[in-house]
Amino acid sequence: MAVRIAPSPASTVVSRGRYSSWLATVDHKRIGILYILTSLLFFVAGGIIALLMRSQLARPNEHIFTRNHYDELFTMHGTTMIFLVVVPVFAGLGNFLVPLMIGARDMAFPRLNALSYWFFLLGGIVLYASWFSAGGAARAGWYSYPPLSELAFEPGKGQDLWILAIHLTSISSILGAINFIVTIHNMRAPGMSWMRMPLFVWSIYVYAILILIALTELAGALTLLLLDRNVGTHFFLPSKGGSAVLYQHMFWFFGHPEVYIMVLPAFGILSEVIPVFSRKPIFGYKAIAFSTIAIGFYSMLVWAHHMFSVGMPTALNIFFMLSSMTIAVPTGIKILNWIATTWRGNVILDTPMLFALGAVGVFTIGGLSGVMLAAFPFDWQVTDTYFVVAHMHYVLFGGSAFALFAAFYYWWPKMFGRFLDDRLGKINFWLYFIGINLTFFPQHFLGLLGMPRRIWTYNHHGWWAAWNLVSTIGAFVMALATLVFIINAVKTTRSGRRAGNDPWTADTLEWYTSSPPPAYNFDKVPYVTSARPLRDLRRRIKEEDLVHA
Amino acid sequence: LRRRAGVLVVVALLGLALAHTALAGDPAGLSPRGPDSPQASSIQDIYWLLIAITGAIFVLVEGALIVFIVRFRNRGRSRTLEGPQIHGATRLELMWTAAPIVILAVIVTFVLTKLSGIDRANPASAASNSLVVKVEGRQFYWNFVYPNGVIQVERMRAPSGRDVKLDIVSEDVDHSWWIPALQGKFDAIPGKTNHLHFTADKVGTYEGQCGEFCGYEHPHMVATVEAMPNGDFQSWYEKEAQAQASGTSDLGKMTFEGVCATCHGMQGQGGFGPDLQGNPIFKQPDAIETLLRHGGIQMPAVGRAWTDRQMNALIAYTKRFAG
Repeated sequence: MAVRIAPSPASTVVSRGRYSSWLATVDHKRIGILYILTSLLFFVAGGIIALLMRSQLARPNEHIFTRNHYDELFTMHGTTMIFLVVVPVFAGLGNFLVPLMIGARDMAFPRLNALSYWFFLLGGIVLYASWFSAGGAARAGWYSYPPLSELAFEPGKGQDLWILAIHLTSISSILGAINFIVTIHNMRAPGMSWMRMPLFVWSIYVYAILILIALTELAGALTLLLLDRNVGTHFFLPSKGGSAVLYQHMFWFFGHPEVYIMVLPAFGILSEVIPVFSRKPIFGYKAIAFSTIAIGFYSMLVWAHHMFSVGMPTALNIFFMLSSMTIAVPTGIKILNWIATTWRGNVILDTPMLFALGAVGVFTIGGLSGVMLAAFPFDWQVTDTYFVVAHMHYVLFGGSAFALFAAFYYWWPKMFGRFLDDRLGKINFWLYFIGINLTFFPQHFLGLLGMPRRIWTYNHHGWWAAWNLVSTIGAFVMALATLVFIINAVKTTRSGRRAGNDPWTADTLEWYTSSPPPAYNFDKVPYVTSARPLRDLRRRIKEEDLVHA
Repeated sequence: LRRRAGVLVVVALLGLALAHTALAGDPAGLSPRGPDSPQASSIQDIYWLLIAITGAIFVLVEGALIVFIVRFRNRGRSRTLEGPQIHGATRLELMWTAAPIVILAVIVTFVLTKLSGIDRANPASAASNSLVVKVEGRQFYWNFVYPNGVIQVERMRAPSGRDVKLDIVSEDVDHSWWIPALQGKFDAIPGKTNHLHFTADKVGTYEGQCGEFCGYEHPHMVATVEAMPNGDFQSWYEKEAQAQASGTSDLGKMTFEGVCATCHGMQGQGGFGPDLQGNPIFKQPDAIETLLRHGGIQMPAVGRAWTDRQMNALIAYTKRFAG
C-alpha cells in the first residue's frame, strides 16, 4: 500500500510554531499527550466537584450545596470522570504507546486521530459550558434515567447539552477505536505475531472493540431520549405507552462494557509494569491475553446486574448473577498471575511499581465487593447505596486510576525525556493509598446502614455521621495527593533527571527509540522474536560482545 | 518505615475502639440493618456467607501480595539482576481457574436455596390472610392505599407476624421502596407494578428512605413502617376507615406533613418552597386542586393521582393558611 501522507499538514508557519504546531499536529505522540493533559485537567475539575460533594456530606444537615446544585455536582462528577477522564486518558496513552509498542511510525489514520481528539475536547467544553445554560447543568445523574430526565421533570437545556456532550465524546471514542483496531491489525513490526504483542496493546485492542459496540449503542439510547425531549416522541414515557425500563436496559448494555473499557487498559498497564519491576516475564502471557478477550466478551452479558431491583423475572436475575460471577474468574486469573509474576523476582519498589502493586491490592477489594453485589438478594439491600459507590470507586480509582499513575510514572520519561521525582512519587502514592481507603472503605458501612447514593443531606448522627466525616477527610487526603502529583509534574519539566532510551531496562519496543522519540519514531525496527523484543536485543548484544571478546 | 506503619495501624485501631465505645449501641454498618423479618434474615444469611468467602479470599490474595513484596524485594541487589525466567505453570493456572468456579458455585447454590425465603416478585404468592397494601411512590413521598380505602402518607401501619404484600407503583419518576431491616429494595417504576412481601417479626418502628434518585428532594423521601400487634392493627384499621369515610380523620394533616411540608415547612412557613401563610390561593379550593394535580413552575404535581378523599382532606386542612 503506497499511501503517502503529506509531511506538512497545514502551512509551515502553523506546523512549526511553538504552540500552533500542537493545534495542527497529526503526530500520534503529540495527540496522545494532548489527550492525557486534557483529561488530567478534567480529572482535577471532577476531583474539585467531588470535594464540594464531600464537604456538603461531611456533617448531618449541612447546607453548602443543596437540592439542584448538589444534583448537578454528582451528575457532572460522574460524567466528567467517565467520559472526560478515564476513557480519553486511555485513548491518550494508547495513542502514545500503541504505535511505539508495535514498532509503527504512526496510527493508521493520523488526521482522523487528530479529529477524534478535537471532538473529545469539544465534548468537554460543551459539558462544562452547559453549567451556564438556562436552568443550569444536567442533574439527573450520570445515567439519567427517564422519566426523570424527560422534559416534564428536567425542563432545562442542561440535559440536552449533556446528551450533546456525550454524543461528541462518543464520536471521538468511536473514531479512535476504529483507528486503534486498524493500526493493531495492520501495522505491527515484522515478526510481531498476535502472541508476541505487548499485553497493553492487547488490552487497547479489546478496549477499542468494546467502544465500537457499546458507545454506538449508547448513542442510540441517548438519541431516543433527545427525541423524547425535543420532538415529542415517547420512547421512554410510560404515561404515553413508552417504557422507562427499556432505557435502563439500553443504558446498561453500554454501561457495563464501559466499566471494562475503563478497566482493561489499566490491567494492560499492570501487565507491562509488574514484570519489568520484578525482572521476570509476565506469568502466563496467554492466560492474561485470553482473559482480556473473555472479560470483553462476558462484559456484554452482564448489564442487567445493575437492574436487580427493577423487577425482572427471577430466571433473568439468576442468569445475570451467573454471568456476573463468571466474569470474576478471568479477572481473578489476572490478579493471581500478576502476584505470581513477583514470585522469586527482584522486586524493585520504584513509584511505578508501588502504584501497580497498590492497584492490584486495592482493586481486589472492588472485585470482591463486585462478587457480593452479583448475589442479587444481597444486591437488593445495597444497590443504589453508598456500598455501590464504594465498590465502583475501588474498581475505578483503585484499579484504573492507580494503574494510570503507574503508567504516568513509568512512561513519563519516554514522553518528556525526564523522570518524575521518585521521592515525591512515593509521597504521592502513599497519600492516595491512605486517601482511597479512608474515603471509600467507610462507604461500605454507610450503604449497609441504609444511606442511599445521591442524597444531598441526611439527618442521622452516630456512626452514620462519623463514617461520612471520615470519608470527607479521606477525600481531602486524595486531593493532597493530586496536588503532590501536579507539583511533581511541574517541577520536573525543567529540573527532572534526564532519561536515556531505556531507563527501566524494559521489554517492549517503545524503549528502543530515544526519549522522547523523534517524529518518525524509529530509524529501524528490529525483527521481533518474542513478546519481549528489547530483552532479546540486550541478550543478542551481550552474546555478540562475548564473541568479539 | 514498617515500624511507623505499625504505629499508624495501632493508632487507627485505638481510634476505632474509642469511637466504638463512644457510639455504643448505634449500629456501625458492619452488616445490613435488622434483620427484623424472615425475608431480611435470609438476605442477612447470604451476606454473612459472602463476607466469609470474600474475606478468606481477601486475606489469601493480599497476604500473598504482601509476603511476596517483602520476601522478594530488591534489598540492594543489582537493579538489572533477573529473577528466574518462569513463563507460567499450566497446572497451577488451571487450578486457580477451577477453584474460583467451585467457590462461585457454592455461593450460587446458597443464594438459590435462600431465594424462596425472600419471597418477592411473585404476584400469586399472597397468603390467604395477607394484608395487601398499594405503595405509590411520588415526588417526594410515599402514599399507601389499603384494601378498605384507608390512605396513609409516609408512615405505613402494618400488623406484625402477618404477611404483608406490597404492590409498588409510581405515577411520576422512578423511586425505590426500601426498609432495610424488613426487605431489600424494590423499584417503583411508572407503567409497572412490583410485588414485595415482608413479615415483621416483632412490634416496632422501621425506617427507610427512597433508594432511587428521584429529584431534588430525594433525601427527604422517607418512609416508616410501624408494625403493631395484629389486634391493635385491626381495630385501628376499622376505626380509621370510618373516620376517613366521614372526613373526621387526620388524613389532611398527614398529607400536608408528608407531602407539602418537605418544601413549605411544617407550619407552612416556607423553606425551599414559598411561605403559605396568608396566601390568597387558599381561598379558592379549585385553584389549589389544579395546582396539586398539574404542578406549578417549580412544584411537582404532587396530587396528580389523589382520590377525592385525599384531595378534600388536604384542602380542608389548608384552610388554616387562608389567614
